[in-house]
Order: sequence, then C-alpha cells, then structure tokens
Amino acid sequence: MAASLSAAFGLSGFSGPVGAALKQLDPKHIPRLIYLQGLSCSGCSVSLLQAESPSPLTMITDYSQLLFHGDLSAASGPRVMELLDSYVDGRAGEYFLALEGAIPEGMPEACMLGEHTLIRYLEKAARTMTGAVAIGSCATYGGIPAAEGNLTGAVSLPEFYRKRQLEPLMITIPGCSVHPDWVWHTISHIVRVGIPKLNKYGSPEIFFGRKVHDSCPRYHYFQEEILARHLGEEGCLFKVGCLGPEALADCPSRWWNGGQTWCVNANAPCVGCTAPIFARSKNFPFYRHSGTG
Amino acid sequence: MKVKFGPVTRIEGHLNVTTVIEDNRVVDARCEGEMFRGFEIFLRGRDPLDAQQITQRICGVCPYAHAVASSYAQENAYGLQVSHNGRILHNLIQGANHLYDYLLHFYQLCALDFVDVTAITLYAGSDPDMVKLRNWVKNELASDRPFPAAPFLPRLSGRYIDDQEINLQALKNYLEAMEIQKKANRASALFGGKFPHATGIFPGGCTQKPTVDLILKYQSLIQETVNFYRLKYIPDVMAVAAAFPEYWNIGRSQGDFLSYGLLPFSPESQSRRLLAAGVLHEGRVDKVDFDRIVEDVRYSRYDSASGLKVRDGNLQPAPHKSNAYTWIKAPRYDGRMVEVGPAARVLVDYFTGNNRPLRELVNQYKALAGIEPMQFNSVLGRHLCRALSGLLIGEFLLEESERLDLGQPGMQEIRIPATGEGYGATEASRGALLHYIRLKDHRIEKYECVVPTTWNCSPRDDQSRPGALESALIGTYVEKPDEQIESVRIVHSFDPCLACAVH
Repeated sequence: MAASLSAAFGLSGFSGPVGAALKQLDPKHIPRLIYLQGLSCSGCSVSLLQAESPSPLTMITDYSQLLFHGDLSAASGPRVMELLDSYVDGRAGEYFLALEGAIPEGMPEACMLGEHTLIRYLEKAARTMTGAVAIGSCATYGGIPAAEGNLTGAVSLPEFYRKRQLEPLMITIPGCSVHPDWVWHTISHIVRVGIPKLNKYGSPEIFFGRKVHDSCPRYHYFQEEILARHLGEEGCLFKVGCLGPEALADCPSRWWNGGQTWCVNANAPCVGCTAPIFARSKNFPFYRHSGTG
Repeated sequence: MKVKFGPVTRIEGHLNVTTVIEDNRVVDARCEGEMFRGFEIFLRGRDPLDAQQITQRICGVCPYAHAVASSYAQENAYGLQVSHNGRILHNLIQGANHLYDYLLHFYQLCALDFVDVTAITLYAGSDPDMVKLRNWVKNELASDRPFPAAPFLPRLSGRYIDDQEINLQALKNYLEAMEIQKKANRASALFGGKFPHATGIFPGGCTQKPTVDLILKYQSLIQETVNFYRLKYIPDVMAVAAAFPEYWNIGRSQGDFLSYGLLPFSPESQSRRLLAAGVLHEGRVDKVDFDRIVEDVRYSRYDSASGLKVRDGNLQPAPHKSNAYTWIKAPRYDGRMVEVGPAARVLVDYFTGNNRPLRELVNQYKALAGIEPMQFNSVLGRHLCRALSGLLIGEFLLEESERLDLGQPGMQEIRIPATGEGYGATEASRGALLHYIRLKDHRIEKYECVVPTTWNCSPRDDQSRPGALESALIGTYVEKPDEQIESVRIVHSFDPCLACAVH
C-alpha cells in the first residue's frame, strides 16, 4: 500500500517511517483532491476551515490541489460535471478521492450529484483514483445516517468498496466532525514523508493511537474516584456517560478550535464521536441521567 | 428551453435547479433537494437527551441553532426553566455562530459571484497571504494542468467588478474573513466545548461554568469580529451594491415573511427577543402560531399524507414517486408561502418596531442605497440584512456576556418525565427553525423539524404554487441560459442548506 503510494507521488527514495524525512515540496507531486459529499452535514468541511497551522489557504495552495469541493468551487452545473467526469473517467490524470458522509446503499436516489447517483461516481472512481480518504465518522463507519432504524441503508466508504470486492488504497479519518489537523496533517504527511502508520481501522496512529480516557487530563479524578454525578459538574465524567474509554483520539492533548478548549474541558462528556459505535444504537444513549426510564 | 444549472456549488449540500427559459427569461423554476437521511425516523425510540446531539448533525454549518432549538423544545416538554446563566450561555454560543456563518457565506460562498478573482495577478502590495495567492494563481495559470487554479477557477461567465482596487480589497478581506470566522467559532466553543457540533449545550443551559478567564477571551474574540463587520464586511456589501445596483430589484420572493425571533432576554419561554418573532403579511406583523403550519408533499418524494401539521408529521420516503421532484417538503403558513432568513428577520423586526438600533441602521442604509424597506427582499437586501443584523448581534453579545453570574452553574439539573411534548423555535442563520418533541415512556415518540431551507427551497405545494426561491427565480433575465450567473446569484443570496432542508 505504502509502496504504491510512494511510487505515485515520486517518494520512492523514502522507505516508510524509518527513513522518514521531510521532503521538499514539489508542486508536481502534491495530491489532487476531488472532495465529494454523501449523506453528510458539511460539518467536516466546515471544520477543515477552522485549521490554524497550516491555514486552510496554505493547505489549498501548497499541500494539495483542491480540484473540486462543493462548498468552495467557483463553477457550478455542467462546468463542474465536466471537471468531475474528466477525472473519474480517467482522462485527466491522477487524483485522490475524499468523501465526507455515508453512502445510501439501500436507496441510491437518496444522494444525487447532478443527474447521477453518488454511488455511480464512487463505483467509477474505484477504477481511476490513486486512493481514497474517508473524512469523518459517516464516511469511516456510517455514523449518524447509519443509526439504528435508518431507511437509506447507509454504509461507510470502506464497507461500500468491500461489498464490491474492491480494495482501493484507503485512509480513514473518523470524528463527528473531524479535527482539521487530523485531515490536513495526514495530507501534509503524505506529501512530505509518505503514508503515515495506520491502526487496525485504517486511521493514522499519530492521531488515533490511544483512547481519549487514557490520556485525559481528568484521569487523576477517575483514579481518585472524584466523579461528576450530574451534568455540569466537574470531576471525571464517566458516571454521566463519558465515552472517552471507547474513543481513539488525541483530543485530550490536541484540543479544539485553536487549542482553546475541548469537550471534557467544558465539562461535557465525550460522546465517542470517533468510535465505530458512535450514535448507532437506540439502547446506548449518550448520557446517564436521572430521567432514564 | 429547459436548463438545469445544478449541482449548485458554494452552498451546503445537494441542490439542483431546473429552469425553463424563454427569450432569455426564467419562466419556470424548480428546486430539487437531492439528499435524504431521515433524522425524524431514526430519532424515534431514542433517549430524549440524545436529541440535541443528534439534531446538530442535521447541519454542520449551523449545528448550534439545532442544539438550541432542541434544548428549547425539551425544556418545554420537561417543564424545565433554563437558568439565568444557562439562557445567556445559549445566547453567547448561538449568537457567535451567526457571526461566523454570515462571514463564511458572504466571502467564501458569494463573493466570487461579483468579485473578479483574476485581479489577484495584478497585486503589487506586500501582504504575505495576498502575495502567496498571487504567485500561486500565476504559477497555476502558467502550468499545463487541467483546470488550473481550482477551486477558484473555472467560474461562470458574466460581468464581474471591473474596479481592480475594489477587487483586491475584497480578495484581501476574503482571506481575512477566513481568519475572523475562526475567531467567532473559537468564542462559541469556549462554552460549547468544540465547533462544529458542541457537546456542552443542553436543555437547561450549558455544562461550562462561566469564569472571568472565559468571558475575557470571549469578549476579545467577539470584539475583533464586530470590528471586521463594521470596517470591512458592511463596506464590502455596499461596494458590491454600488457595482450591481440592479440586484436591489432582482431575486424578489413573492410571499410573506416569517421569523421566530432570536436571542431571548430572559429565561421565560415567551421572553422578548433581540429580534422579534412574527409573520409579515401585506405590511402587518402577526403573532406566530405553530398550528397554522402544514407541510405539503404532493411534489416531494414521500407517500405519507400531505398537509399535515407539524405535531402530526409522519414521514414515509418514496424515492420513485411520480411527479415528485425533490426530497424537500413544502411548508406553508396559513396556506401561504413564506420566505425566512436574514431579510425576514430584519423586516419582521422593522415593522414590529421591536429593536430601535436595528430600525436606525435600516433607515440609515436604505437612505444610503436609495431603496425602500421592501427592497430588502432582493439579492442585495439579503446580503445587507446579514451584515447589519450581525453587527447588532455582536454588540448585544458583548453586553450579554457582562450579565453572567460568576461562580453560579451554567445549567439546571435535568429530569425527564415519562410523557410530554414541546416546541422549540429560534432563528438559525438561514432563518426560522422549529423543533418538536413528544415523549412516551421516557423515550422520543415523535420528533419533527421544520428547517429554514425547507421553507426557502420548498417545491410546489398541493395547489402547485411555488416556494420562495422558485418564485424569486421566475421572471429573471439571464444573459447566458446555459450558465445563468444571475440565477446562481439569487440562489446564493438565500444561502441554501440542503442538509438542513431535507434532514
């Protein structure tokens, strides 16, 4: 996997993480991205615009070529479809597919791109793209559109390709929404070093190597059994439903929105938004509280 | 001639628009919402306190509005009155979300409809970001790559601003707005935990306790945002207006206006708000009554009954239903089509006489632009209403943050009854947002959302009368029917959010 990617981006002089060194930026080898949205809320896209270092502008000009993004592209209509088709049909050259959102496997008409279903584009892209990045928990695991009782048969991007016996190169970046660094730094890593080491879910270990609970700044409260009993109290939030023990993510050290805060710092229990179980079951509520029947 | 000009970009989500053009004029228009998830269906049977988390994921652009609407609805269903601090924290979080959203909309989503992005190649100054952008665009254009300078090029053909100084100033502000919107979001995240999708907002308030440290940070970030509104954003809207004055008369919707009111002054659910609630019909403002709202589905991809009231909503998707052309339902108020959003908020408040500073701002700017109040119902009017009301919201947030009781908690204890029901109504950035919750056995029995873009991008109703955006498109002159930059400008002025509209 890493070898094919290295070849694609002229990184053959680097032998994975051991030989990792920052490579000079070469405009010829920065990845071209086609960013599509499925059953999504655009929350991940909006989060990508909250990046601090590097800024979103630098990511667009220096580290990637954002060929298409529905929220930013100046062109619309037929001009957009022409651009998309030329890449997806394999006429315009190499590209990476980024998908935000789940895929309505059971109801293809529930997500259209112009005249065609999203599914049609994803099937065609599997044959022409260099690789894919699943952005957010919907694309990685199915997320909220795949919650119990949904009628669209929503699935993740890896599952979508698995069902078709396709195995494209794939990096998954969960989160509802993703932290902007998780995506942009993964792309920067690809450009300057090579593919980062991935965990068993295909997500970069540098961000998704440890459980939130294990590196939580409130872990000492847990050890001392200083436990919040009601929402809004300080202490370890385990008893009010914190899902930090379920979620792989580096929120406790990275923090959010310019490094100012994160959920637990605001006394808000982690909802496990990077975990495969996130929001899926009706019988697994986010919070434990006195009103539960 | 039938022309589809979708997928429309620089909006949220999946929108297509089919127009019929005769002699370069739009004689018919249909808004097609192309994505469906079914939130109201999978919310059933869940724990009620999941709702303000799950419904935020309807929209990652305005999640806080959904969290607040859901919290209001749950408070009403639980008989829970929000605390003094809780009400203020809801306001501080939601208000800052409006400030970021208007900036992102005007600069990142709309500016390139008017501003000539190629002017960047002429830039001779020393601003590092502008130099970076100039060099990048020049290199891209000189390269042999397909589609150089994407996503900024290619673009639609049409007239753009020809004064290069205005273009360069607007592009500089485009880049600065990217930084300022982050600050507004940082401010709200201080109390909400993170943006997008706050984990700290609950019925009864917010889990974060107000401290001097947090309030100082919040005020500093909001002050910077307010300064940008005053010194850059409002002047840029007026610069666009000076270059395209015809857009005070283009994109006029043909119905009434609805606002649920924004930012309550006190914890009672019927509290007066910074911007007033009301329905504006032929110059008169009436009180809002949720029972007068019904949703038609004759042209929508559902085979559930049409014309149901909100509390009776019952969604059954039918992707292949004949004659249906969208996943969006057709809500109507008292049987009439309404526009919601910035112009509705400003007009309803203006004709109510609720907010004196707003009235003064509106009078000042309508004199400057030489327009009548009802010309706020236009492409430029919607843009200006966002900028002006944003200034007012920002100034209110600075005062409001002074009213927090330090040392007091940010929220109330929540006790969920076995049964109950409640509406929660607020204004998302894109307009009137209504949530409805009904409980049975401590679980959600029914959850319904009527969302701003459901109103604005509504299809035909059961009497085949068009929705607000459809009506605003019909009659428009288009220079190039296959591209329709004029229609795209109209669509953008409504700031459609398709994830919200269908959910």
